[in-house]
Amino acid sequence: MSAATYDQLHTLYRTVLVFATVGAIILSVGLLQFVYFERPGQETGVKARIVGVYEYDPATKKTIGPDGSEFPRSDVFAAVIDWSSVPSQLAVDARWYDTFGSMRGEVGPGHSSDLSNYSVVPVQVPPNLQFVLPGRYTFVVERLDADGVPVEVLARRFVLVDR
Amino acid sequence: MITSTTPPAADPESALRPRRYGIAFAVAALVVLALIASSILNYVYLDTIPGRASLYGLLAVASITLGTYILVRAFNRDRATRRNHLIRAGVLIGLGVLLWLLVIDVFLYTQSAGPGVAAVCALACLPTTAFGLLVVRRMDRNHKEPWRLVLVAAAWGAIVATSLVVWAETVWEVSAQRALVPGPGLDTSLAFMAGTLEELAKGLAVVLLFLVMRSEFDDVVDGIVYGAAVGMGFNFMESVSYMTNLYSIFAPEHQGGIAAGVQWYNRQVLGLFFGHATYTAYIGAGVGIARQLPSLRQKVLAIVAGFVVAIAGHFSWDAWVNLFPIPNTLFGIVAIHLRTLVMTGPFAAGLIGLLIFGIRFEGQNLVEQMRKEAATGAGAILPDEVPVLASPWRRLRQRVQAFQRVGLPGYFKVSRLQTAQLDLAMERWHRERKEIDTPLEAEQRLRERVIQLRHWVPAS
Repeated sequence: MSAATYDQLHTLYRTVLVFATVGAIILSVGLLQFVYFERPGQETGVKARIVGVYEYDPATKKTIGPDGSEFPRSDVFAAVIDWSSVPSQLAVDARWYDTFGSMRGEVGPGHSSDLSNYSVVPVQVPPNLQFVLPGRYTFVVERLDADGVPVEVLARRFVLVDR
Repeated sequence: MITSTTPPAADPESALRPRRYGIAFAVAALVVLALIASSILNYVYLDTIPGRASLYGLLAVASITLGTYILVRAFNRDRATRRNHLIRAGVLIGLGVLLWLLVIDVFLYTQSAGPGVAAVCALACLPTTAFGLLVVRRMDRNHKEPWRLVLVAAAWGAIVATSLVVWAETVWEVSAQRALVPGPGLDTSLAFMAGTLEELAKGLAVVLLFLVMRSEFDDVVDGIVYGAAVGMGFNFMESVSYMTNLYSIFAPEHQGGIAAGVQWYNRQVLGLFFGHATYTAYIGAGVGIARQLPSLRQKVLAIVAGFVVAIAGHFSWDAWVNLFPIPNTLFGIVAIHLRTLVMTGPFAAGLIGLLIFGIRFEGQNLVEQMRKEAATGAGAILPDEVPVLASPWRRLRQRVQAFQRVGLPGYFKVSRLQTAQLDLAMERWHRERKEIDTPLEAEQRLRERVIQLRHWVPAS
C-alpha cells in the first residue's frame, strides 16, 4: 500500500471522526435542552383532581352528559378541574394538546385560587377547520416555576377522538 | 449436489469470513428477537389494532428477510442451483409482500383512509423514489453496485426498518407521554427516539450487507450508496404512511388531497435526498471506511462515528424544526425550502464532500491497478484501454459506438466487458491492501472471464 493511499484513507477516517464530534456536540445540546425542560427533583407530590372530561356546548359554555374518554370528532369536549385540590400558592395552568403535540386550549397561568372560575377547559377547534382533529389528546394540569416554565404535571388525562 | 462458485478462503488460518457470518447471524437473530418481543409487548399492553397488526406482520417480515437472504446468496451459486434458489426466494418474498399488504390494509382501514388512497399515495411516491435510487446508484461512477443489492437495501428500509421502529417507537412514545411534561421536553425526547431508533433500524441493513456481501461492499462510496438506498426505502414507506394518515384526518374538511400533496412534496421532493437518505448514507460512509481500515479498533470507531452523525442529523431536524416556523403567507413557500437547506444542507454538504473524496480515492487506485494489470501482458486489460476504463464518459462513448455498429447486443457486450475489467481492478486493489479473503484463483477466474468476454465483443 502506498503512503499516498494510506493518507487518503486516513483523511476519510479522520473526517468522519470530526463529523462525529460535531454530532456528539449536537446530541449534547439536545440533552441539555431536555434536562432544562424536564428538570430532575421537581416533584412536589401534589396531585390535582380532574373531575372528568365531558361533551361541551360552546353556545351555553356548559358541559353535557357523562364523563368520557372517547368522542366523535364532531363533538367539542372539555375537561373539568377541581382547583381546590391544588395548593393556592402554586403557579399552575391547564392545557389540551392534540395528537401532533400542538396546544388546543388553555387556562392560566395563575395561582389555583385565581383560577377557580375557570374550572371548565374546552378543547379548541383549529382555525379554518370545522371539527377537532382526530387522534389522541392529552390534558394536563401543570405546575410552573418562577420563569413560567412548566416543570411538573399535577394531573393528566388522555382522550381519544375518533376519525 | 449444491456446489458454490466461491472458492474457499486462501488462508486456512483466516477465520475472518466465518466470524463475519457469525456476527451477521447474531445481528439477524437479535433483530428477529426484538421484532417478536416488541410485537408481543404491544399486543399485550397496548391492545390496539396496530398492536395486533404488528403481531400478524411478523410472518411477513420473516418471509421477506429470509427471501432476500436467499435471493442475495443465490447469485453466488452456480447456474444449475441458482434457479431453484431464485424460485424459493421469489415465493418467500411474494408471500411476505402479500401478507404485508394485508397487514397494511388492516392498519389503513382502521385509520379510515382505505386501500384505494393508500394505493394512490404509493403510486405517487414510486417514480420519485425510483428516480432517487437511480441517481444514488449512478453516484458510484467507477464501479456501480448491482441493482439487486440496491433494491434489497431499499426493501429493508421500507419494510424491515419501518416495522422495527413502529413497535419500538410506540412503546417509547406512550411511555414518554405518560411520564413527561408536554412541550419542548417531550418533543426533545421524541426527537431522540426518532433519531436513535430509526437510524439504528436502518443502519442494521448496511451493517448486514457489510458482513454478508463483502465482495460487493468495496469502500466508502459503496457504503454511501447502500446507506442512501436504505434511507430512500424508509422514506418511501414513511411518505405513504403520512400521506394516507393526513388524508384521512383532513378529508372530512375537504382538504385531504391538499394535506397529502403537501406531505408528498415535503418528503418525496424536498426530503428525497435531504433527509433519511442523507442520514443513513453517513452510516454507510462509516461502514465503508471501516471496510478498508486495518485495525479492529479503527473499524469500530468508524462505524460508531457514522451512526453518531446519522443520529445527530436526524435528531437536529426533529428537535429544532419548529425553530423555523413557516409563515402563512406567500413567503412560506420560500421559507419551507430555506428551512430544509439550512437544517439539512450542512449534513448533505459534508456527505457530498466524503463522496467526492471517496470517488477520487477509488478512481486513482483503480487506474493504478489497471495499469499494473496491463503491464502483466495477461491480456485482460490492454494499455490502450486504461484511459477509456478510467473515464465514465469514455466508457459510455465506447458502448455507444458498439451500439451504432451492432445495436443493443453490442452495447451490452461492451458493458459486460467493462464491468468485468473494473471488477478485476477492484479485486486487485483489495488483494494488494490485504483486505480480501478469497484465494488468488478467484482473481484468475475474473481474468479468464474478461478474456472470454473480449472474444464476444465486436472488434472496434
